Amino acid sequence: MLTEKARMLRRDVFSMIHQCGDGHPGAALSITDMLAALYFHVMRVDPQNPEWPERDRFILSKGHGCPSYYAALARRGFFPVDWLPTLRKIGSPLQGHPVMKKTPGVDMTTGSLGHGIPIGAGMAAAGRLAKLDYYVYVITGDGELNEGILWEAVQSAAHMKLGRLIAFVDNNGWQSGGVIKDVSGLTNLAAPFAAFGWHTQEIDGHDFDQILTAIEKAKTETERPSVIVAHTIKGKGIPFTENDNSWHKRVPNKEELAAALQYLGGS
Amino acid sequence: MDKITAMDKIASTREAFIAGLMDMAPDDPKLCLVFADSLKAARATPFTEKYPGRWFDVGICEQNAVAFSAGLASTGLKPFFNTYAGFITMRACEQVRSFVAYPHLNVKFVGLNGGIYGGEREGVTHMVFEEFGILRSVAGMEIVVPADAGQVRKATRALAKREGPAYMRIGSGREPVIFDDSMDFEFGKARVLREYGADAAIFAVGPILKRAIIAAEMLAQEGIKTTLVEVHTLKPLDVDTIAGVLRKTRAAVTLEDHNINGGLGSAVAEVIAEREPATLVRLGLQDVFAESGDAELLFDRYSMGTPNVIEAVKQVIARKRK
Repeated sequence: MLTEKARMLRRDVFSMIHQCGDGHPGAALSITDMLAALYFHVMRVDPQNPEWPERDRFILSKGHGCPSYYAALARRGFFPVDWLPTLRKIGSPLQGHPVMKKTPGVDMTTGSLGHGIPIGAGMAAAGRLAKLDYYVYVITGDGELNEGILWEAVQSAAHMKLGRLIAFVDNNGWQSGGVIKDVSGLTNLAAPFAAFGWHTQEIDGHDFDQILTAIEKAKTETERPSVIVAHTIKGKGIPFTENDNSWHKRVPNKEELAAALQYLGGS
Repeated sequence: MDKITAMDKIASTREAFIAGLMDMAPDDPKLCLVFADSLKAARATPFTEKYPGRWFDVGICEQNAVAFSAGLASTGLKPFFNTYAGFITMRACEQVRSFVAYPHLNVKFVGLNGGIYGGEREGVTHMVFEEFGILRSVAGMEIVVPADAGQVRKATRALAKREGPAYMRIGSGREPVIFDDSMDFEFGKARVLREYGADAAIFAVGPILKRAIIAAEMLAQEGIKTTLVEVHTLKPLDVDTIAGVLRKTRAAVTLEDHNINGGLGSAVAEVIAEREPATLVRLGLQDVFAESGDAELLFDRYSMGTPNVIEAVKQVIARKRK
């Protein structure tokens, strides 16, 4: 079921970016499976009541992956699917990067990198103060780990023992300028989190069993925040976009869209 | 009748902020405090002892503190983040703009050590005289600069009742007492404090208002009759009151503990350009950096002294009459 959901989201993503004429397909496609798992299996949300105080929260720290996020929210019922083609157009509730007060279901405005964990820590701390048992999920990019503010929050979230904060690192290995180890030198992404006192796991970010198991394991950690380093493939799910960084920011033409939809079992 | 004191006492704006918050905290459990290892600087112990759990210290990381506050506010809490003003408004400027102001979250920023008055001994890194300009250009951000401790306490209460992002500048804790306790604080209103006449207007903001009051009195003794206006809310600006005074005086001097670019002087210049033409001299830091030293002496050195106000008033009147 999750596999089919993810295929549907990937069809939406490619169609949206084609129609809009702008976007980041590679970065959207590497997180699709995690989003499908969160929104169609894990998260306690009520699409009819997106402001429900007891809901689980989600922050897409790598806001440029938002086509996948919007597709997941629409398919989960937060807003009509026919909003999707309006992405990045004037008057659309679907902004170029997520905006919490324009799009039902979006819990936090993001875009400028590095902010998901700091803001998520605030949400988790607020939940504890209010004695609510919601979880806060974040997906951050791997290139995004360059940002200093993220590590400020890694320190303070561990110090505050925010056990209900669960962050995924979408470790697709690429950033805008190329392979991460060439551009910024980051390797062994879990290690600094562990050093700051986080619970860490490494999984295949496209394997639903591993995603769900990792979340369950993270939930058993009540005294420390969790990071799940998800090894992913940029552009995952469409053969000609996988691991091709030219799709970091690129618009599929008609032929490419048709080929992708055919591969993903849609039309 | 006159609510201006002898101005020979000092009182702490930092303690006044915490007192104002504690006035509101019993009836509003959503109010909370965020620090960036600034709890002691904020003199916040009375609050943190009384309300354990309703404060968060993220350590020395202001960007994180602002983003964290945004997360708190997204759930309905009303965090007041308090640390050195420059570290909020410059170091964490993007977080203030993109994650608090843009989503219009209910986070209040309380910047201590604002202007020369705050950081006089620490030196320029711990002063800030740019933040009015920075924040005035952020959509939806409200900006309040009370003149003394009593006003800070009342302004804090007023801000606690308002929705959305706001910034309040406070000082070092050694600010002159300007008003007696009966002086109210009405958010968003500029107020005419002295109305000797319409030769010129003096607009002032913050504790440096003390110097404007003295200058206006001295000018009156010389027969030069000014209208003195305190503009404690820089945004939203009370354009109608300011324009109404300008219409009568057609000459104005602004005085602020800030760079002359971007703050009160610029705001009044905008009203002059758009509404009521007048001659203008802007007093403040003349696009230079200050230095360490006693605040009152620094004001004299950097052309914010009472004699500078007097001279500027004479200048704008002379230019008006040309």
